[in-house]
Amino acid sequence: MASSNPETESNNGSSIAKEPEKPQIEAFRMPTMEEMRAQEVWNNCAVRSVASGVMGGGLGLMMGMFLGALDNPIMQEEMTGRQQFMYTMRQMGQRSWSSAKAFAVMGLIFSAAECVVEKARAKHDTTNTVVAGCVTGGTMSAKGDENCKKEYNVSFMGQDEV
Amino acid sequence: MAANNPTGVDKEQAFGMAETEMEYRVELFNRLAQTCFNKCVDKRYKESELNMGENSCIDRCVSKYWQVNSMIGQLLSAGGRPPM
Repeated sequence: MASSNPETESNNGSSIAKEPEKPQIEAFRMPTMEEMRAQEVWNNCAVRSVASGVMGGGLGLMMGMFLGALDNPIMQEEMTGRQQFMYTMRQMGQRSWSSAKAFAVMGLIFSAAECVVEKARAKHDTTNTVVAGCVTGGTMSAKGDENCKKEYNVSFMGQDEV
Repeated sequence: MAANNPTGVDKEQAFGMAETEMEYRVELFNRLAQTCFNKCVDKRYKESELNMGENSCIDRCVSKYWQVNSMIGQLLSAGGRPPM
């Protein structure tokens, strides 16, 4: 049994374990200069958004590979085994690359927007996330709209010519 | 009062001034830390690291506090009486 006398303890929380089951609370250390600089790296908006974009790209890659493999089942009669394999590989690669790009852009924009908004407001809130989500959604749908418009025009004009 | 220092400032006087200055500095630091902590950090601690919003808030708070402090110090030391 150890007594906890407040004056004899160090004033930042190191204590003697009272029972064998209680975990030892270790003394508090002030962060060193290297630790502070390492934390400062993650406060940079560019670093955070690039890291988030890379992670999004990795996620998109995985998801695209998985979904691309399941996409078009090929007929057994046309190609040999090896050709089937190559075809599936190419399809998986295309799908995963496009999906990786989309997710990377999404992650980048979301992270950058959230970082900028939080730095501007100087508050840690859910409002930052909401605004960042709005910006990301708007950007993605603005991008998507162009493609939809082009495809729509082509198909429409194709029908006109016929 | 033995002035054994050629610059004319007594050793004890210098020591007293240094002590006053030190007390002033310590008081300034304590008040600055207290004010900016109370203003910027939410009392319900969700994590142990300072997040980015709190970091910006503390940067701005310290900068403003320092600016105000130096400005008022200048006014008081120059005029001797705050202009009102």
